[in-house]
Amino acid sequence: MAPPTARHSGEPTAPTKIVARDVSVFYGEKQALHEVSLDIPDKTVTALIGPSGCGKSTFLRTMNRMNDTIPGCRVAGRIEIDDEDVNARSVDPVLLRARVGMVFQKPNPFPKTIYENVAYGPRIHGLADGKAELDGIVEASLKRAGLWDEVADRLHAPGTGLSGGQQQRLVIARAIAVEPEVILMDEPCSALDPIATARIEELIDELRERYCIVIVTHSMAQAARVSQRTAFFHLGRLIEVGDTEDLFTNPRERRTLDYITGRFG
Amino acid sequence: MTEAAIPSGRTADADAVRADRLRSGLRRRYARERRFKLYGLLAIGVAVGFLVLLLGRIFDQGHTAFYAHSIETPVYMDPARIDRAYPQGTNFELLVAEQQLARMGVQDDAQGARAAAMRGLFSSELKFLAAERIQAEPELIGQTVRIAAPLADDADLYFKGEITLDTPAAQRRLSDEQIGWLDRMRAEGMVSSHFNSALFTRGDSTEPELAGVLGAVIGSALMLLVTALIALPLGVGAALYLEEFAPKGRLTNLIEVNINNLAAVPSIIYGLLGLALFINWMHLPRASPLVGGLVLALMALPTIIIATRSSLKAVPPSIREAALAMGASKTQTVFHHTLPLAMPGVMTGAIISMAHALGETAPLLLIGMVSFVPGIPHGLTEPTGALPSLIYIWENASERAFHERTAAAIMVLLAFMIVMNAAAVLLRRRFERRW
Repeated sequence: MAPPTARHSGEPTAPTKIVARDVSVFYGEKQALHEVSLDIPDKTVTALIGPSGCGKSTFLRTMNRMNDTIPGCRVAGRIEIDDEDVNARSVDPVLLRARVGMVFQKPNPFPKTIYENVAYGPRIHGLADGKAELDGIVEASLKRAGLWDEVADRLHAPGTGLSGGQQQRLVIARAIAVEPEVILMDEPCSALDPIATARIEELIDELRERYCIVIVTHSMAQAARVSQRTAFFHLGRLIEVGDTEDLFTNPRERRTLDYITGRFG
Repeated sequence: MTEAAIPSGRTADADAVRADRLRSGLRRRYARERRFKLYGLLAIGVAVGFLVLLLGRIFDQGHTAFYAHSIETPVYMDPARIDRAYPQGTNFELLVAEQQLARMGVQDDAQGARAAAMRGLFSSELKFLAAERIQAEPELIGQTVRIAAPLADDADLYFKGEITLDTPAAQRRLSDEQIGWLDRMRAEGMVSSHFNSALFTRGDSTEPELAGVLGAVIGSALMLLVTALIALPLGVGAALYLEEFAPKGRLTNLIEVNINNLAAVPSIIYGLLGLALFINWMHLPRASPLVGGLVLALMALPTIIIATRSSLKAVPPSIREAALAMGASKTQTVFHHTLPLAMPGVMTGAIISMAHALGETAPLLLIGMVSFVPGIPHGLTEPTGALPSLIYIWENASERAFHERTAAAIMVLLAFMIVMNAAAVLLRRRFERRW
């Protein structure tokens, strides 16, 4: 009884950055995503919400081809970033991931110094000529992630010695050090306390001026606070997508209404 | 609150019965726990007991090998018997023996049998010592010099209490007369003991008092060097490939099963392989550290591969994901992140498999390393001995003095092992990082 296509409401005002058309993902025989079609605008925060196991993380990972690392995973359909199909043979996933950064649920800084964590990306992609430039990139990234003031005096301390919230900001700094165009966030605050969460949400709001952000979140309140567009997934299908305010106050689909009012989840 | 029913149908009586049951059940459970702990302690006790027994016996047998006795005696450097230009030609042993007899007031017989018997008490090293002294200081000829004359193995054993008068004279290596002389010398305070440095500074020898482990130690060390240089890169590389890069499939599984089996193959088979491949086919020099190292490398390879693979598996996937999501290539992820984090396990596996290889004797038998090799090796292609094969040779030697030396050599080998294992633990601690 699923409608053939999802309900789209409200046109995004910013230019479209990512276009997904009929994206299906299979883990072996099991189909996890069913023909998802979605436009994601640039310089905006798009939230993907839905109950556990509905495929939102799977969809997120198609955008930087992290599903390639899972054996037996197959992706069908088109995903275009700036009109370029990411699954095309000519596209190197290594370069793609320099354009599309990712922040994970549990903060995972490398067991290296804070400096080395942030410098790793620019170093392997050859983005800095010499130490001075690298220092500049590290400082700018940490400042933009809102962590500079706290760690400026201990850049050579291990990254794993920071608190959870600081580690997540470090990971964000690491991601933005390579100047990506898109930042994907997979439930970035679910392992953090409310104060750290609030800081990260502030940060996301600042970041959206420069980057296209897609965030998967379990918390509808967070989606309402942080995003401009929201997409609701259920059982591997996209049910509804629209401006956040509209979707939460006036959802068009029955299932969306049931989810956001807490009937299931 | 006696008969009143507590809500949900429980009565006070039922509660009392239940409490009783719980209590007695608890007693049984605690008893079982105590028994289990006892079994554990017993098991550990038995293991430790055997270890203590083993080490105790070895130490008991071997500690006497670390010191040796010598006789401090004045020797008159008779110019009539010593050639100034060629002091090595002099039979110093006979000289000292005759002088000693004279000093003790013993008359020699016509065949010089007594002098020969006295001479037999001194080590053949005496002549080298004396000749060196004369060569260094030729002006000593004609003077009386105090020399610490090292004793032969049987005399040395007498002072260590290994040879006693209890054994009938026919079965003893020292005659009653010789024992009498030794007692006299001891009573006169001429006997002293010193650290048996020959054990550590000399190579193997047919004379026990001149025999040392240095040749074998260097041989073993050279072999280990070859083993490390070959097995480490190959093993870690193979494990990296199998774990990170190889496509998961039947071929990879087949290889994995075979490697696991190879780790269990008896070491003598590797010796056969070494004989057939390295000596007969490739014509590498027999009994050389090169061949020994190659054979041991083959033996150590499966263990290193297995240890490295399990260390790689233990690296949390979150680090790998973080690196890949940054745009690191597969190779960069492996070498910048996975391998460094797996290092403690890799090093432990490597050092332990090499400590294992150090003690293997069976493969060395087949490549010819169990023959008598005097002297110290200088290269990878000369025939050498190794510690395990030295122990084997000394154990089978007929001289009684080799008994204590075998135990001493075992202690040296054990010390080697302990040092290597301690190094493994230390290195592991140093490189362990928390994620």
